[in-house]
Amino acid sequence: MAVSIRHLRRHYAGPDGSVVPVIDIAEFALADGEQVALAGPSGAGKTTLLHLLAGILTPDAGQICYTFGSAAPVDLATLSEARRDGFRGRHLGYIFQTHHLLPGFTALENVLLGMSFSGRPADPAWAEHLLKEVGLGERLHYPPAKLSLGQQQRVAVARALANRPQVVLADEPTGALDAVSARQTLDLIRRLCTEVKAALLLVSHDAAVTAQFARAVTLAQLNRSVAP
Amino acid sequence: MNSLQIIFRQMRQRALSTWLTLLSVLLGVALAVAVLVVRRDAGRLFGQTDYGFDVLIGAKGSATQLVFNTIYHIDRSPGNIPYSLYTDLLSSPAFRPLVRIAVPTVVGDSYRGRRIVGTLPKLFGLDDQGAPLPPDRVLEYRPGRTYQIAAGRVFAADKFEALIGSDIAAETSLQLGDEFQATHGLPAPGEIPDIHKPRWKVVGVLQPTHTSADHVIFIPLLSFYTIAEHGVGLVAQKALRDGQDPAAAIAEFKAQVAPGAKDDDEAPDNFTLDAEGHIQLQLSPEVWGLSAILVQARSQPLALGLMYAVNNGSVASAVNPALVMRDFFGLFLRGPTLVLLAVSVLVTLVAGVGILVSIYNSVAARAREIALLRALGATRARILGLICAEAGLIGLMGGVLGLLVGHLLAGAGSFWMRQWLGESLNWTTVDGQEGYYLAGVVILATLAGLVPALKAYRTPVAANLVAN
Repeated sequence: MAVSIRHLRRHYAGPDGSVVPVIDIAEFALADGEQVALAGPSGAGKTTLLHLLAGILTPDAGQICYTFGSAAPVDLATLSEARRDGFRGRHLGYIFQTHHLLPGFTALENVLLGMSFSGRPADPAWAEHLLKEVGLGERLHYPPAKLSLGQQQRVAVARALANRPQVVLADEPTGALDAVSARQTLDLIRRLCTEVKAALLLVSHDAAVTAQFARAVTLAQLNRSVAP
Repeated sequence: MNSLQIIFRQMRQRALSTWLTLLSVLLGVALAVAVLVVRRDAGRLFGQTDYGFDVLIGAKGSATQLVFNTIYHIDRSPGNIPYSLYTDLLSSPAFRPLVRIAVPTVVGDSYRGRRIVGTLPKLFGLDDQGAPLPPDRVLEYRPGRTYQIAAGRVFAADKFEALIGSDIAAETSLQLGDEFQATHGLPAPGEIPDIHKPRWKVVGVLQPTHTSADHVIFIPLLSFYTIAEHGVGLVAQKALRDGQDPAAAIAEFKAQVAPGAKDDDEAPDNFTLDAEGHIQLQLSPEVWGLSAILVQARSQPLALGLMYAVNNGSVASAVNPALVMRDFFGLFLRGPTLVLLAVSVLVTLVAGVGILVSIYNSVAARAREIALLRALGATRARILGLICAEAGLIGLMGGVLGLLVGHLLAGAGSFWMRQWLGESLNWTTVDGQEGYYLAGVVILATLAGLVPALKAYRTPVAANLVAN
């Protein structure tokens, strides 16, 4: 099992100080190499769940256990912030809805940047390979401003896979793309995750996207006490 | 990518802001370093103890003026002392045991803005007959260094000949074999020069000494007194010293050297030349005046004794040039250079604030990028370190460039001082003080980066990742 969630809760404070529950999941698991789509309307808390899974946010309660191979499970919820950051850098890949490339860095440098915080030596050959895989072998040294939106998102995909992560969390990765680019990008993510044997949890509100996955769940199904 | 590469990419991303911040650091450091170099070397220059002679004797008055005028050839001569004092130094029982070497000088004229100094061949290692002096009887302009001839020879003691400093050829176009006429005093721009009648011939060029002597034209002491106006002036001065009527003394002098002359206003020639060009001066040595006498005493205690003896007389004053210049530096240079240094430090502090503001603004603008770095696995401490290191790096780069520019500024100052004083600064040497200053600048810059770094440290990741 790559990641399993138990009794995960997270709330936000409302404008009037009231408690607004967002996440209340009894159980959810993602197997090694499994690819799952998470559907739900905008504002339902999908991104919050991904942030919790990535250790960017901490839960109010519950466990987020990562188990890789025969290693002992790691409960992300119990780690300090610095250790969560390190864990994220080493084991997780994150693809944002908007590409979030650093403008001062070339395509290749943006991918190499993804390797900078993993604690492992940088692997420029792998970074170049990934960029070739996403069809940008001729644009390694282009700054983001000289790439189209679709190309920028493909760089972001390559960056998320730069550390050969065990789990990739993708937050509406095709949301800002046209239909053709969206299709290509989705195929790319799935193919590369398969190549590096990473589990994939992909968030989308687009039924056409989630329909392509063998397993698709909605946040409403996972949340037991949060009003839709 | 390592941290340094990440920092350089971030700096490149906002190149204009980075360069402007760097420039402000550079200017602050350059100013401070230039002041430090000038302060250090001016102290060495003016506080030096290696003039090669112990005592400077001149007219009573400002000791600083005497040293400036005699050694650096700037400022006006404080007045004349009788030539008899020089002969007393060499022969009187009171002074002779104290004095090892004494060389008289007289000033008052110039050529194309460069000073003419009347002196004896002994300053250049020859006696009045042109024979070499024993080495221990030759005055050193710096310990172990005596004037050397680069071309030609030393002037004869009683001819209209001149020996020029090494820079004079370039400054005045005078060459070996050229003749020139002296100008009375140093005319101000636009002032009609009073050109004396005698013509001197350049017979020698000195080797560079890297002192003010490189900008001086040396002529025989005797030839200085052949200038008619000097003769009349010296007669008047002698009369005043003796309590007599100077007008009567001048009239008597004119009647003696030019009997029957009708023009009372014109100073008469007071010399003749023999067939070989030797000067036959009609002005008695009793009338001669000197601007200064350079003295090397037989020992340091005897130098003190000599100064005591001269200063307690009514004729002249004697000073130790090293002490005078050290006092001058302490009184007049240390304060202003301290103020300049303080201004430079303030400029550097302002540059530090500039770093703070620049990076703070960039952090505010880069909140999403910082959140992204965090999302990629960068810890808060790593972000803090990156921002502080960026600030420190700007401080280091600005500091090193500032150090370079500061030394170039000091080099320009050195060039100007060489033109003005004949002395130059050692502007290429970097000393520990500058090293400490540079380290201080880097620390200051790094601390300045701490404020924006703490802002970056506190950047909420989730909120900035979803914000568009």
